[in-house]
Formats: sequence, structure tokens, C-alpha cells
Amino acid sequence: MATFIVCILASIEVQRTTNLEEKAVLKLNNISKVYHGSNSNNNSGFQVLIENIVLDNLNLQIKQGEFITIVGPSGCGKSTLLNILAGIDTSYRGEIFVDGRPISESIITDHIVIFQEGALFPWLTVYENIEFGLKIANLSRDKRREIVMHYIDMVQLTNFAHAFVHQLSGGMKQRVAIARALVLNPKILLMDEPFAALDVQTRRVLYDQLLQIHQKTKKTILFVTHNINEAVALGDRVIVMSPKVAGIKKEFVIELPRPRQLDYPLINSITKEIIEESRDLYLSNSSSANNSNNSTRPEHVLTAATISTN
Amino acid sequence: MQDTTQNSQQQSFKRSASAKKRIDFNDIANIALFIAVFVGIWQFVFLLEIWPKVSMPSPAMVAGSFVGLLRDLTLITSIGMTMYRLVIGFGISIAIGVVSGLAMVKFPGFGKTMSSFAVGLQSFPSVAWIPFAILLIGLNDFGILFVVVMSSIFSVMMSTYSGIGNIPPIYIRAARNMGAKGFSLFRHVMIPAATPSLLVGLKQAWSFAWHALIGAEILIAASIGLGHILLIGREFQLMDQIITSMITIFAIGLLFDRVVFSKLEDRVRDRWGLNQGIEH
Repeated sequence: MATFIVCILASIEVQRTTNLEEKAVLKLNNISKVYHGSNSNNNSGFQVLIENIVLDNLNLQIKQGEFITIVGPSGCGKSTLLNILAGIDTSYRGEIFVDGRPISESIITDHIVIFQEGALFPWLTVYENIEFGLKIANLSRDKRREIVMHYIDMVQLTNFAHAFVHQLSGGMKQRVAIARALVLNPKILLMDEPFAALDVQTRRVLYDQLLQIHQKTKKTILFVTHNINEAVALGDRVIVMSPKVAGIKKEFVIELPRPRQLDYPLINSITKEIIEESRDLYLSNSSSANNSNNSTRPEHVLTAATISTN
Repeated sequence: MQDTTQNSQQQSFKRSASAKKRIDFNDIANIALFIAVFVGIWQFVFLLEIWPKVSMPSPAMVAGSFVGLLRDLTLITSIGMTMYRLVIGFGISIAIGVVSGLAMVKFPGFGKTMSSFAVGLQSFPSVAWIPFAILLIGLNDFGILFVVVMSSIFSVMMSTYSGIGNIPPIYIRAARNMGAKGFSLFRHVMIPAATPSLLVGLKQAWSFAWHALIGAEILIAASIGLGHILLIGREFQLMDQIITSMITIFAIGLLFDRVVFSKLEDRVRDRWGLNQGIEH
């Protein structure tokens, strides 16, 4: 079968890059992160310092309204990257700009994280959980109410406004988490495997809702997952990270039309293609990881048009 | 279809809430029967006349003494005075205990050392403080308060320390990420997140304070108080007064445990969903 991949012309690529630079809502320049561990379990009896490079000169730009998905096997630094972007982890080298401002000077609520699970506050109702950030920001009660009602309606939990967290299903909890992040009107939503703990059917419902929310709010979203199919179905760009190169291994542009349908037949073929392309990441004894480069340039552009002509 | 499941689930919340409010008449009947049997046995033992009347009064005599103590306001003032001391002493314990618990969280070195001391002092018998308090402070209300505070403060301290120390880090991370810091983080996240553990500590501290208070009232010879009634009763061989005071002490303990702390615990459990296993 002919390959699905079509490399895009250099001129178009240059144009894309300049476009990105203009409106980059998030810009990462040469981000490096090293973990220092110590190992005293060796025969010499001395402590040996271990340097574990998790991210090595990573560059990434995300423009306004873009839906970026990051995939990669465990240990590739996805979560580390997300913690850095969330402002939770500050021990890294490199520069991060949120909306043109260095991350240390940015407003913290401009980059809100949606965690995998268990981050809702059990002592608050659904309504109060969603209200939390607004209360911290000292908004008036009426203003808070207006905003909360808008987003609680968007995630279709109006009937559950006064339920407690433990009374909700896993999917509902994540919808609350999404609403809780959206009320703060962040510049970028950072999602850390938010649906990984859900069953397949619930996950599909939430993909649909997330796509609708993205369509409505035009939020910039950075979505970390280990599920390539999920990454393709949701993202405008899929970034494949590798533990071997300690950073971005490949980048795929997914030019499927929006609003997206989950049962779009091309999603599965693109997924297969990406798995094929990044096969070496998942094989332990592979020596073919020579493809590594850390540029943000997309190596492969998968479009609906090119694939259907094959 | 999702809507219908949502509605039915919502109805089930309401139903479980209303079911809890209904008073269980079976329970009341059981309690009444239990008390009746107890009073019956007591009356029977009294009629056997194994002990003289001074040592073993009849239920009717105790009831008479109860009415008498109520009439001359001794019982009311005693309850009032004892509760006053309890509120002040327990209040001081909570205030100092919570603050030092927080200091222990803030300064880990201090926290580690202090917690091993506090654990030892927590199980230190409260009556053992009394001679120390008498010599240090004297036979007065401050001596009693000192004993109450010393016997309950360490439970408050330890529960604050462990309650805040055991907050899942993800709550703190999420809250910081949503802009909470400093006092707002403390007020809106740390305190509510530590509440279940704090409540357990407060209940234990209350119980220790209550034990210490009655003991101190007897031994430090307060002029008024439930413990004082016990002391006078012993001095003048007024067993009916002693039993009246004991029943009052029992009732107050029960009231606090069942009404104040159970209500609080139920509310917290409902919110956090900690009693699902018990309900079904």
C-alpha cells in the first residue's frame, strides 16, 4: 500500500512557522529538565549521583485556538512538561512564554491544568467546585453565579449543581473539572490524561463534549495522553515524544475538518500510520531512533485530501 | 437517555436525605425499655436492703434529690459553671492547639520533635497534672483550666498536624493552579481538607477535657460545679446527690457526643461520601 505520508513543500512550511510565531499563545524555547537521583544500592558503598535527562532542548509553539495532543510511552517526559507549563515545577532550563510574557510573570490562571482524576474538592458541591477559582479571585456573588451557571450548563451538569463529588460518575467528575478550569477563562488548558481512568463509552461521550467545547470556546488546549487514537481524533497537531531523545521525536499535523466526528474513517488509518512511524519508541531493543531532531517543524503532514487519493 | 439516568440518580439523593431525617420509633421504644429494666433492677436491689439507705438510695430518692437540686438552683448553676469552664478550657486548647499544629507543619524539624512529645503527653493521665497545677497555680479556677487545657491540647495539636500533613498533594496543586495562595489556600483548601481528621481530634480532645474537668473539680475543690457536688456528696454521705450529679455528667457527655459531634461528623461524612459502606 502506498504511504499515507506526504511531505509538505518547504515554502508552505516556512509560512506556517512565521504564522505560528506571530500568534503563539504558548512558546517554549530550549526547555531542558534533568532529574538528579542518587543510587546507594551499588557494591562500592558510595552514593552515586544519577543524572536523568527527561527533556533536552525542547522547542514548541502553540498558536491561539490550537488543539495540541502529546503522546508518548510512559517515561517520555509528558507529565514533566505539563508540570513545568502549569507552574508547578520551576526547576528547568529554558524559556517559556505565555501570551508573550515569561511564565513566571504570567497570571497563574492563564494556564489551568485538568488532572487525570481526584483533583475535585470533596468538601464542596459541584457548583462550589466550579466556583472555587472565582471565589479565590474575589468576584462578586452575582458575577460568580452568572459565570458558573454558564459553564455548568455547557458541561450539562445543571441538574447536579448541588450534588457532592462522591455522588458523581467518573465522567461527570471530569466534566466538573473541565468547567472548573473554563470559568477562569484561561489562555491555555493543560489536560493531563484527563480521560485515562474512564471506560471506553464514557470516554467517547467526553471526546464529543470536549470537541464541542473547543468549538464553542476556541480555547487553546494542550492534551497529554498515551492513546494515539485519542490524540488523532482530537488534535490539530499530534506531538510524539520519546524517552530516547528526551523530547519531541516527531510531529504530525492532522488536517481533518472541524467540527470533528469521532467515527471519521481516516482517524483510524492516521493512527495506524503514526504507530508505524513511531514503532521504535515502543520496542525496547530498537536501534533506529536516529530520526531524532528537536525542531518544531512538522515532518509529516497528514491531510484528508492526500490520504483519500491513495 | 443520559437525562433520565441523571434524574433518577438525583431523586435517589433526595430520598436518602429524607430517609435519614425520619425519627425511628423502634429505637425510642428500645431505649425506654432499657431504662425501665435498669431502674427496675435498681429498685429490686434497693428492696433487698443489702446496703444501708445512705449507700444505696432508691431511684425515687435520687429523683427527689434531682428535683431538690433543681429547685434550689444548685444543679443549674453547677451545670452552668462546669460548662463555662469547659468552654473556656476547650476553647483555649483549640486555639493554641491549632496554632501550634500549624507551626509544626510550617517548621518540619519542630514538627517532628514536637509530635513525639505530644504523643507521649496525649496519653498522659489528666489527673496526674492536678498536684502540679495545685502547687504551681493554686486551688482556683485557673488551676482547673490548666488541667483541662493540658489534657486536651495535644490531641488538637496532633490532629491539626497530621490532618494538614495528610492532605492529598493534588488538592494543593490544583488550588495553587487556580490562583489560591497564602491565607486563601489555608482558608479554602487546607482547613476544609483537614476537617475529617480535625474532627476526630476535636472529639477526642473534648472527651479528654471532660474527664480532666470533672477530676479537677473534685480534687482542686472548686466552690461550684458538678464535680463539687460529687465532693460534697462524699463528705456528707449524700449518695442521692452523688448519683444525681453522675447522671447529669453522663447526660451531658451523651448530649455532646450524640448531638454535637455526631451531627458534625454526619455532615462531613455526607459531604465527603465516607459513609456509603455503612448505609447499604
